[in-house]
Amino acid sequence: MNLSDEQVLAMAPDDSSRKAGKDLANPAKWASKCVGEQALWGECQGSGSKPYQTQIDTGNMAFKCSCPSRKFPCKHGLGLLLLYSRQPSSFDTQTPPAWVSDWLAKRAERDEKKTAVPTAEKTTDTAAQAKRLQARQQKVADGTDELLRWIKHLVRNGILDLPEKDFSFFENMIRRMVDAQAPGLAAMMRELADISYFHDGWQTVFLHQLLRIYLVIQGYRHQDQLPAALQQDLRTLIGFSQSQEELKAQTGIIDTWQVLGKQTSEEDKLVIERYWLYGINSRRSALILQFFVRGQQAAATSLTPGTCLKAELVYYPSAAPLRALIKQQIQLPMNHTFQGLEGWKEVVQTQTNMGSVFPLYNDQVYTITALTPVWYQEQWWLQDGRQQLMPIRKGFPHIWKLLAFSGGAPLPMAVTGREKQYEPLGVWHEQEYKIL
Amino acid sequence: MEHWNNIINTVLLGTAKKPVDKQGLTGPLEQAADSILGNPALDREDQFLHLASVIYNYRQCGTQPITANVPPTPVAPPETKRYCTPAAVRVLQSVLETDSTQLVQLWLEYCTGANLLLPPAQLPVMLDKAWKNKSLRVLTAAAGGYRAEWLGQFNPDWNFSRVADTIEERWQNGATAQRVEALKELRIADPVLARTWLQQSWAKESATVKTALLEVLEQPIDPDDVPWLESLSGEKSKQVKEALIHLLKKQPSSSLQAQYWQVVSEAVQLRPDGTVDVMAPIIKDDSIFQSGIEKLSNNKKISDDWHLLLQLIGLIHPAQWEIHFGKTTAEIMQLFQQQAALQIFIPSLVQAIVWFEEQQRAMTFIQHSEVFYIDLIPLLPVEQQQLLSEKYFDEQPETIIKYAADSPEEWSMPLCTRIMRYAATQPYTYNQLFMNNVVRQIPVAIAGKLDDINATETYHTGYWNNIKAHLARLLHAKSLINTL
Repeated sequence: MNLSDEQVLAMAPDDSSRKAGKDLANPAKWASKCVGEQALWGECQGSGSKPYQTQIDTGNMAFKCSCPSRKFPCKHGLGLLLLYSRQPSSFDTQTPPAWVSDWLAKRAERDEKKTAVPTAEKTTDTAAQAKRLQARQQKVADGTDELLRWIKHLVRNGILDLPEKDFSFFENMIRRMVDAQAPGLAAMMRELADISYFHDGWQTVFLHQLLRIYLVIQGYRHQDQLPAALQQDLRTLIGFSQSQEELKAQTGIIDTWQVLGKQTSEEDKLVIERYWLYGINSRRSALILQFFVRGQQAAATSLTPGTCLKAELVYYPSAAPLRALIKQQIQLPMNHTFQGLEGWKEVVQTQTNMGSVFPLYNDQVYTITALTPVWYQEQWWLQDGRQQLMPIRKGFPHIWKLLAFSGGAPLPMAVTGREKQYEPLGVWHEQEYKIL
Repeated sequence: MEHWNNIINTVLLGTAKKPVDKQGLTGPLEQAADSILGNPALDREDQFLHLASVIYNYRQCGTQPITANVPPTPVAPPETKRYCTPAAVRVLQSVLETDSTQLVQLWLEYCTGANLLLPPAQLPVMLDKAWKNKSLRVLTAAAGGYRAEWLGQFNPDWNFSRVADTIEERWQNGATAQRVEALKELRIADPVLARTWLQQSWAKESATVKTALLEVLEQPIDPDDVPWLESLSGEKSKQVKEALIHLLKKQPSSSLQAQYWQVVSEAVQLRPDGTVDVMAPIIKDDSIFQSGIEKLSNNKKISDDWHLLLQLIGLIHPAQWEIHFGKTTAEIMQLFQQQAALQIFIPSLVQAIVWFEEQQRAMTFIQHSEVFYIDLIPLLPVEQQQLLSEKYFDEQPETIIKYAADSPEEWSMPLCTRIMRYAATQPYTYNQLFMNNVVRQIPVAIAGKLDDINATETYHTGYWNNIKAHLARLLHAKSLINTL
C-alpha cells in the first residue's frame, strides 16, 4: 500500500475532517502505531481517559475507531493512514493484538456471508407487498398528475417572471413529490429550484431541466410501451429503489477497476459520494454512489481515488448501465494502464448512442487520449488532438494543478460530464495516474 | 439555434399568448412538429412540451465540440534538473501544514541546495505561498523550474518565477526579487561590475525597483559608491530619495557625513589638559535637517542642542573620534566613560557602532565598559552572542529574545531553554505565530524538554500547552527536513 496525501485526504468526509486528520498525522499524537500484513492500528490520546483505538483494514480499506465521532472515516483513521503514507518506517511491524484481529476476523466472516449464495428464501408476504406497491404506484400517479398540471400551468402563463417567484413556489411542489413517494422527482424539482435565476441564460438551463422532468413523467405514464431496461431507468428517476439483495444475487463483471476520482456533494444534510471507476479489461466505466447523512456514520465501502481494486461489479439495470454495486473487492496497488477515447468526436458519438436509448442520461466518465488545457475566449477549455474544444466546468478548483501537470502539452485525462460541461478528475503524467 | 430560441421565446411569454409553431424547423424536426401540432388530442401546452422535448433531445444528441483556431500555447521547456523524491514531497506536505514560512524556506533551501525541482503537482501551492511571502520567491523560482515560469504566464501573481541560471541571466531577465539577489551576489564577487550594471539600467527602473536595488548597496557599504549616489540627488521619487539619504548616512566618506562631523567636531573639543569640552552645536547649513535630523527635543530633560548632538554622534563613524582626538579605539571608549561631558553621549556612541556595524569596535567597547549595552549583541561572534544573551537574559529578556529571533543562527540549548521558560510566562506574546517565525533558530532537541517547561500562571496553562503542541509539530517537521 503506497498512498499519496491526496489519495488519503480524498477519503475524508468533509473539510474539517481533512484538516483534523492532517493535524493527527504527527507521531507525537500516537501512543502506539503498528502495521501488520493486513492492517494498521494505533492508539491516540484524545479527550477521553483511555486512548482511542484506531484500526484500518488495508486489504479492503475500511476504518474502525473507538472514538465517539460519527464521521467516517474519522480524523483518527485519516491521521493514522496519512502518517503511515508519509513515514511508514515509524510504524512497528507486529502481529495484530486481539482488538484488531477480532475486527479483521469479523470483517472476513461478514464478507464470506455477503458472497455466499442465500440458501433459505426469506418468507415474504407477497400479497401484502403487492398491495403496498399498488398503493405507492397510485400515490406516484396522483403526484405526477399534479406535477404535470403544475408544469402546464407554468408553460401556459410563461416563465418571464420566474426570477421574482418566492421560495415557496418550488418548495410546495417539492414537498408534494415527497408526499407522493416520488423522491427522485423531488430531487429533480430541487435542481430546478436551485438554478441561479440571476445569471444570463437561466432560461435554457431551466427549460432543459423542466423538459427532463416532463420526459420522466410522460415516460413513466407510458412505460408499458418502453423496453424493460428503460422502464427501470424511469422507475429509478421517479425514486423507486432497487433491491440491493436482488442485485447481489446476480453475476457481475469481475475486473481490475481503476478508481479514477471521487466527487462529493451535499443536499439537505445528505452527503452524496460519487466514485468513478474504469474497468481495465472490460473497458467499461462505472459509478458507485454512496449516500449518508452528514454527521452519521457512513456504511459501505471506502474507495481510494487513484488506486485499483479487483472487484465484481453488478450494474443496476438500465438502458445505459452506469451505476453499479460492488459485490466483493480486494484493494490493489494502482494499475496505471491507460485506455481511452481518441478525442471529443468519440465522446459525443458515445453520448449520441446513449441518448438514443436513454435520453435522460446523466454525467459520465470518459478517458481521453490527449487533452490540453487552453485559454480561449476568457475561459479554460480542453483541446483534443484534432484541435476540437470542450469547455471546462466553471469554478473547477484544480485548474492550476492541471496546468502544472500539462505544461502546455497534451495529457491522457479522465473527465466527467456530458454535452458541453466537463470536469477533469485526473491525468496520466509520466505513465502514472494522478488525481487532481 | 433559431428553433431553440423560438422555443425559449414561447415559454417566456407562455403558450396562452404565443402558441408553439414550427418556425425555423426543417427536415425531421419539421416532420415531428407537423405530427405534434396536427394531433387534436394535445392541448397547446402539451404541444409545446412535446415539441420542446423533441428539440431538446435532438440538440443533446447533436452536441458537437467547438473547432476553433486557438493560438497555440507555448509548451513549457523540458526540465534540466531532477524532481525531488516522493519522500521529500511528503516532508514538504508536513511542512506546509505547519503554516511556518521559515520551515518552507528551510525545505526550499534543501531542494535548491540539492539541485532538485518541485514536482508539478506541488507548484500551484508553492507559487501561491511565495506570492504571499516575498522571502520565498527567489527560492521558489529556483525550485519551480521552467514549469513554474510557464505557469506565471497565465497567473500574473506568479510571474516572479523565471528560470535563470547565471547571475547575468537573473539580472537581465529575472523578476525583481531575482534581480536583487543577483546584484547581491555580484556585489560580493565584483563590486565594480555590480555598480556598472546598476548605473546602466538605473534610468529604466521604476521607483519601487530602484528602492529595492539601493538596499543591496548597504551590504557591504562600499566607499566607491559615494560619487554615484551623490550624483542621484535629483531623483524625484520620495521613497528613492529616502533610500539614498539612508545609504549616504551609512557612508563615512559622504558629504552628508562631513556636514554632520563638522558640526560635532566644532562642538566637542579636547583641551590641552586632556579634558573634553562640549559646547552648543552651531548649524551653518539648515540642509542638515532635510536628512532626518530633528531640531527639537521631545524630552524636557534634554535640551534641543544636546538632542541635536545625541543624534549626530549616533550617526558619525566612531573612527572619526580616533582621528579627531588622535587616540586608539580603546582610548576613545575610555575617554567617553571617564569624561563627564561625554558620558551622556555613550549611548550615541554605541548607536554609531551599531549603525556602522563595527564588529571590532563593539568587541573593544564591551571589553572596556562596565555597563553591558545589549544593542551590541548582534555585532558579536555567535558564541559570544549566545553566552552574553544567556548571562544578561534576566535583565532584558524581551530585547534579548528580539535579537535572538533576528539572528540567523540556531540557539544554544541553554539559551533556548531560558527563552522557552520566559515564553511560558508570556504566552500571549510568544504565541504560535512567534514559534512559526523562530522555528529555524530553535534546536530540535528542545522538543524533549518541553514537558518540563510549564506556564507559571494557572490561567495560562491551556494556552501554553497549545503553543507547546504546536511547537512540537514544528520541530517534528524541522527534524524531517534535517533527515533529507
